[in-house]
Amino acid sequence: MKTKYLFWAIPLLMLGACNNDNGEYIDIKDNEPLSVTMPSNFPPMVYNVEENPPTKYGFELGKKLFYDGKLSANGFISCGFCHEQRFSFTHHAHQFSHGIDDKEGTRNTPSIANMAFFSEFAWDGATSHLDLFPIIPITNEVEMGETMTSVLEKLRADSQYQKEFEAAFEEGGVNHENFLKAIAQFMVMMVSYNSKYDKYVRKEDGVALTEQELQGMHVFQEKCASCHTTDLFSDGSFRNNGLPPNPSINDIGRAEVSGSGNDNYKFKVPSLRNVSLTAPYMHDGRFGSLESVLNFYQSGVEDSPTLDPLLKTEEGLGISLDDTEKLALIAFLGTLTDDEFINDERFSEY
Amino acid sequence: MKSLYKLSTLLFLFVSVTSCSDDDSSRDELTGSGMVKIEFDNSVAGDDLILGSSYTNSQAETLTINRLNYIVSNFRLTDTQGNVFTYPKEAGYFITSEETGNTEVVLMDVPAGRYTSMTFGIGVDQEKYLLGAEGQGDLLTEAESTEMMWSWQAGYKFLNFEGTFTSSTVPENTNFQIHMGSHGSSLDNYKETTLSLGTEALVSDKMTPIIHLVVNAGNILDGDNKISLTEQAVIMVSEEKSPKIAENTANMFSVDHVHNGDGSSH
Repeated sequence: MKTKYLFWAIPLLMLGACNNDNGEYIDIKDNEPLSVTMPSNFPPMVYNVEENPPTKYGFELGKKLFYDGKLSANGFISCGFCHEQRFSFTHHAHQFSHGIDDKEGTRNTPSIANMAFFSEFAWDGATSHLDLFPIIPITNEVEMGETMTSVLEKLRADSQYQKEFEAAFEEGGVNHENFLKAIAQFMVMMVSYNSKYDKYVRKEDGVALTEQELQGMHVFQEKCASCHTTDLFSDGSFRNNGLPPNPSINDIGRAEVSGSGNDNYKFKVPSLRNVSLTAPYMHDGRFGSLESVLNFYQSGVEDSPTLDPLLKTEEGLGISLDDTEKLALIAFLGTLTDDEFINDERFSEY
Repeated sequence: MKSLYKLSTLLFLFVSVTSCSDDDSSRDELTGSGMVKIEFDNSVAGDDLILGSSYTNSQAETLTINRLNYIVSNFRLTDTQGNVFTYPKEAGYFITSEETGNTEVVLMDVPAGRYTSMTFGIGVDQEKYLLGAEGQGDLLTEAESTEMMWSWQAGYKFLNFEGTFTSSTVPENTNFQIHMGSHGSSLDNYKETTLSLGTEALVSDKMTPIIHLVVNAGNILDGDNKISLTEQAVIMVSEEKSPKIAENTANMFSVDHVHNGDGSSH
């Protein structure tokens, strides 16, 4: 039996060797499917992995693209420039996303953790498919300022990329479809599910929350969880949370996409995973701390025709919170930090 | 037994009647499969559309059209028996453009038959969009090269209609831009239209009909719904106006004539 295998192995090796003349040949047979994490405490995944099953080479290609400045007009702004892993893939300390030539956008970089569990993307839901999302920052003139066609031309001119595309996908080579699939594979694998909170709810490793964290969790469930639902901590809907519009920008949010005045100033409810790491907060990054965020909900909510009804009750506008509750909430939100995720080498640039 | 006899007589009569009326040469049996060519002949107010020339519409606005691109999709052909042939979705999206002269759609491998009506969509349906990267294939590439990628929302412009205009209150030449497409998940502007062909379009391995459509670009703003450029000259995402433009656009197509033959000439 052994000899039979050996007999076949020799011509196979010879074939491989023939193709392997420049040292960088990647054998497509080595490509293997990756398993996507579906945590038991999460709702079902929205992304259809059967249509774009992550593979070793697809994921690696997606990661390389994610960190490659070639995707921008000046060659320096990669996706990872604004989406930094140690801040759960947000742009820490930057109110707005900086793009090429130091141009500045009008919105704060959102996290890309757990995107496979959502059905609308960007603060205003400009796209409803994760695969297509990268087109938006790549072509935005204040972000990466490129065209897809030009990005693909640059990649096609790079023989290493050609090989990596060939290895990752059975057909097509360097094209729109495979480019978007590769980046999506990288993003789909980014699942943050191992925070202290997760281990507590899944009863793993005997993890317990402190008394203050537990108090915060109860306040959260009572006063925050109608929008920040499930263990994704977002229902994915678009809501006006009463943030007074910044008059110099007047970003109307979801209404930009829908064209409907009923959607004025509505933005996607963000997930709160790793929220202790993702300052500044709100779609325009106006708040530097979680204290400021909670103070805003307590006393800064502004009424308007599209204000979310949940923030306008008989008791008044906003959410009533006392100082003890605020401290407890902040302690609870700290349990959503997932150190394994932000240190996961599979996602890291270097 | 008696009824069977009756039935067979009827059947005999029916066969002989149909065969009697079947003496025209085009009534020969159509076999195999062939192509259908559809010519989108862009026009305005009954005249050929010439980019850069002017015309005045019923709202007393004078338009100089510089761009007319639109996506047509999901073709379905219905034959005399009521059978519907649906063109394969993966190959079913076409970008037409007056400026590049790319105004003909060719459907391949259409089963032989006598087709009497045609249905198609204007734009890209949500089902297609939600197929993600896999489902878009080369359409994104093509859309970007023809100004039909709506990049800020990672989608498609179904219609890109641009130029300049003047009116009694806007005397200076002013740019107009009409970009119409779906609004994310909140408003689906994909529309379909069904056209009777008037003449049977004959398809076989020897016959390729050319369906010649006249497309009245004037209808986009000046159809059943009246859209005033004086009021708003740049319309891209409007909950009120975009669906009206989509409806006007879907109604701008009519069948002028059908050429039956080998498809080589009009």
